[in-house]
Amino acid sequence: MKNIIYIFIALIFFSCQEEVVLELKESGQIPVIEGVWTNSAGLNQVHVSYSRDYYSEEPNKVINDAEVFILNLNNGQRISFQFNEQLLSYLPANNRTGRLGEIYELHVIIEDKEYIAQGTMLEPPTLDSLTFEYKEERVFREEGYYLTLYGKIPFVEQNNYRMKIVRNDTLLNRRSDYLLFDDTFGTSILDRGFELGGFPFNEGDRVRLELYRLNDDAYQYMSQLVNLLFNDGGLFSPPPQNPVSNIKPADGSGQVLGYFMVSPFVSANVNIIEDDSD
Amino acid sequence: MKAIFLMRFLLILIFTVPLFTLINPNLSKAQESSFVVGQVFEVATNNPLPGANVYWESQPQKGVVTDLEGNFSLQKVDLPSKLIVSYIGFEESIRVINQKDLSKPLRFFLQESQMALEEVIIRDRRPDENVKSMDMGKSVVAIETIKNIPALFGEVDLLRSLQLLPGVQTAGEGTTGLFVRGGSADQNLIQIDGAPVYNPSHFFGFFSVFNPDALSGVEFYKGNIPSNFGGRISSVIDISLKEGNYEKVRGEGGIGTISSRLTVDGPLFSENSSFVISGRRTYADMFLRLSSDPEINSNDLYFYDLSGKFTFKLGEKDKLSVSSYYGSDFLGLSSQFGLGWNNWVTSITWNRNISERLFFDLNAYHSAYQYNVNFDDPDNGFKWGNRLSESGVKAEWNFNVSENTLINWGVHSQLYNFAPISLDPAPGSAIEPIATNPRNGMQNNVFIGAATDVTDRFRVDAGLRWAIFQLHGRGVDYIYEGGIPSPDVAITDSLVFSSFQKIKGFNGFEPRLSFRYLIQDDLSIKASYNRNFQYLQVASSSSAGLPIDRWILAGTYVPPIRGDQVSVGMFKNLEGNKWEVSGELYYKDIKNIIDLRQGANILFTDNVESEILTGDGYAYGLELLLRKNTGKTTGWLSYTYSRTWRQIDGISFDQWYNPRFDRPHDLTLVLNHEFNKRWSAGLTFVYTTGQAVTFPVGTYEVDNQRLPLYSGLRNDDRFPDYHRMDASVTWKNVDKGRKWKGSWNFSIYNLYGRKNPFAYQFTEIFNDQINFTPSQTNIVESRRPGVVMTYLFTFLPSVTYNFNF
Repeated sequence: MKNIIYIFIALIFFSCQEEVVLELKESGQIPVIEGVWTNSAGLNQVHVSYSRDYYSEEPNKVINDAEVFILNLNNGQRISFQFNEQLLSYLPANNRTGRLGEIYELHVIIEDKEYIAQGTMLEPPTLDSLTFEYKEERVFREEGYYLTLYGKIPFVEQNNYRMKIVRNDTLLNRRSDYLLFDDTFGTSILDRGFELGGFPFNEGDRVRLELYRLNDDAYQYMSQLVNLLFNDGGLFSPPPQNPVSNIKPADGSGQVLGYFMVSPFVSANVNIIEDDSD
Repeated sequence: MKAIFLMRFLLILIFTVPLFTLINPNLSKAQESSFVVGQVFEVATNNPLPGANVYWESQPQKGVVTDLEGNFSLQKVDLPSKLIVSYIGFEESIRVINQKDLSKPLRFFLQESQMALEEVIIRDRRPDENVKSMDMGKSVVAIETIKNIPALFGEVDLLRSLQLLPGVQTAGEGTTGLFVRGGSADQNLIQIDGAPVYNPSHFFGFFSVFNPDALSGVEFYKGNIPSNFGGRISSVIDISLKEGNYEKVRGEGGIGTISSRLTVDGPLFSENSSFVISGRRTYADMFLRLSSDPEINSNDLYFYDLSGKFTFKLGEKDKLSVSSYYGSDFLGLSSQFGLGWNNWVTSITWNRNISERLFFDLNAYHSAYQYNVNFDDPDNGFKWGNRLSESGVKAEWNFNVSENTLINWGVHSQLYNFAPISLDPAPGSAIEPIATNPRNGMQNNVFIGAATDVTDRFRVDAGLRWAIFQLHGRGVDYIYEGGIPSPDVAITDSLVFSSFQKIKGFNGFEPRLSFRYLIQDDLSIKASYNRNFQYLQVASSSSAGLPIDRWILAGTYVPPIRGDQVSVGMFKNLEGNKWEVSGELYYKDIKNIIDLRQGANILFTDNVESEILTGDGYAYGLELLLRKNTGKTTGWLSYTYSRTWRQIDGISFDQWYNPRFDRPHDLTLVLNHEFNKRWSAGLTFVYTTGQAVTFPVGTYEVDNQRLPLYSGLRNDDRFPDYHRMDASVTWKNVDKGRKWKGSWNFSIYNLYGRKNPFAYQFTEIFNDQINFTPSQTNIVESRRPGVVMTYLFTFLPSVTYNFNF
């Protein structure tokens, strides 16, 4: 709706834009924790850093001396993480992974202050096939190859999904590339074929779709993050707020940013090559 | 303790004032004495003339003012005596009244004064009303005044004009939403001929739905709301559609930069019935068609208004009028996407003069608002829409007990129907249909009010309104674990209610009380207290209204809003009522206002209550107004200092915060000057503190995104101060007796091109280009944090040709 409004304003009111420099207040450094824990090796990592001033062009200050571990609350098992200098993230020892149905608790200790978050590794939906079809240009759609994903969502609750699209080994990560969906419009979306309408591909592209089933709090975080990316601070936007983190300080005081996502991982791949046999 | 004292004081006054009236021997005597009654008309149109002064030459201080139907009732003096009827801009009528004249109602016909051509008349009220009336926080705005104010795109706009009055804030550049004395936009009762309008805006709030040619007047109550109005806590904007004249067919209209309008009125079947039909339509879509780009020329964008009023005089004592307004907006993109919304308001009013002193008004209305969104797509197409309506009947009696004592009472029943939100996917679509449950409610109100002069200088107006509201079936109510709705708690049960079965009920007394003490003939002090309950509101966290806003009724989990306002003021007229000066102080207390949880999605949910946060608020302010009413130069200068605060658990660390429209300093200058019979000019200057907003205090990276970091305090920052000057020049053809009269209006919005921010976006700037969007072909070479300001309407000229015949 908001985009429509701005199309309208641009069409009619010849709105103008320019870059300005506003004097902004500053906050101290706030820890930022980004934890991803799946049942797939290679995806699991915890990134820990500090926030910085708004206009700073430096990268986030990475914290490399935190203590990071994940507890399996079902069996008490502790999975330690080690800092990796190349990735600037903490990786699980022995490349360990999560298991479906288990409840995990992330612990990050930064300068004696502990931060905790929990999540359950839920069952993933079934992905059957990924097809593509060439479509001509029309309004709201560029010409190109469009993907349709088939599968099944057999769950009656905790239907919170995020889909990531990787094209030729590059994750699509513009704000418009976020694909989040829940069961507001039902769960038969994969049965009928979920066309990825906003993503045209070219012949020769290698595409991987990754599907994650998130816990409610992590899904809410992602939804709020996307809303914030589209929030223009104008009259038609709600007052901007930080996405509500599912990570909490263990002692209940202080602030922390980021999220802990516990999710199963399923994916589907396709190479867009036109079959010329006929 | 204070509250108990106040309540006791109010109760004493409410119940003793009518009693006092009845037992006061002087007043009893007045009731027995004879009155001179009559009616005043405008000679050119034969229309009744409200607001005319009627007084005996021997007692100029004891005059009365004609009511909306031009009626007056004045206590008799020793006859014969000269009776004077006057009205600003009209020739005075003086007639000697003898005893025999009392046997029948008198009829006076006033002729427009030749001198009036030299003056710009900016109000329809008696010259000393500022000082002597009981009104506080009330503005009567003449349509002619509104038409003289320089307008955005040359579109004369009622609601935007009201924003120039002290105590009224805007949400932002160009928008017509009104924020009155700390209240939200949904706390204003905007009604046409007694029927409420739920979405009074076109083009997402940039224009209001009221075509000025179709209106006869506006009464705007922001302080002491009389007891015959209720249902919103912040203001009442009571708009009357124009009544057609009974003499001959006439017309007026205009051809403007973005729209044209035409109004025709005249006698209908005989001299006892009249009609007026009015229409307006924009033609932005016609300009779009001129584009060679198919992505632009295939779009639709328009709004239009249609209104009509038919009036029938059913004899000496009865009048019936039927009025209807229909307004519609449509935004269509390439016939594939369509967003439309419309209001349809219909009202029937029967006025009866039961006797010389007792008047009866019966009003029945139906107001419906709906929106529709269509997306025509074989894979993800849908139709989404919603409709809400209010039907009501209001009966009111006005009794002039004596020259100085008025009593009114009545009943008002309202029926609300909020239809389910429906979303129907196209056949073959991957999404499933959605339908929420309907919400229905009924509100019955009883009201009484009385005004009397306790002494020559002290006048009291007391009123009481009792509203009984019931949320009823057909509908569903949900039971939440722990009893408090939240997205995090389970729904343990759902209760289904059949039609008119009670779900939840509320009732509340709404006392209204005001005083006026006349220190001198041209100086008075006034005070008032007002309580209002509001049983429906918009669930939204943005500042500007949207067509898809969701109205919700009070119910099991959402209590009604309660607003209490106290105001005091001093009113002074200078140089024979040429100048008005006033100062008003107010304090408003608001209970049970709502906001939304972070990330709330209320568009399609049946559990709106789980997305809502409830809290309180208060507002206070000082409003100063200097106004010049007559002469070649007229207008006003106003300054308001006001603050608005809210506290809602779950927002801003549960601390008090300012809503976006809290703008402490507000200075407005409105000037009109008539140079000669051909040329006149208007000038408006507005200065306000910038909107209260939330800016980031840092940044951080998550999920490959650079995000602004917020402190958690809501609206702790400010936009830069807002200021703007608009100007207009009007050229009129000299009246040479031709039937067709035309005039040209040239106006410039934002004369000196001030770049007032509409929005700031805190975003990454790629390749030093603010509109650069990375893609496979748009390669990112540099990225850095930045702030992009959007601004609208710098130096916007427009021209309008107005005519009448």
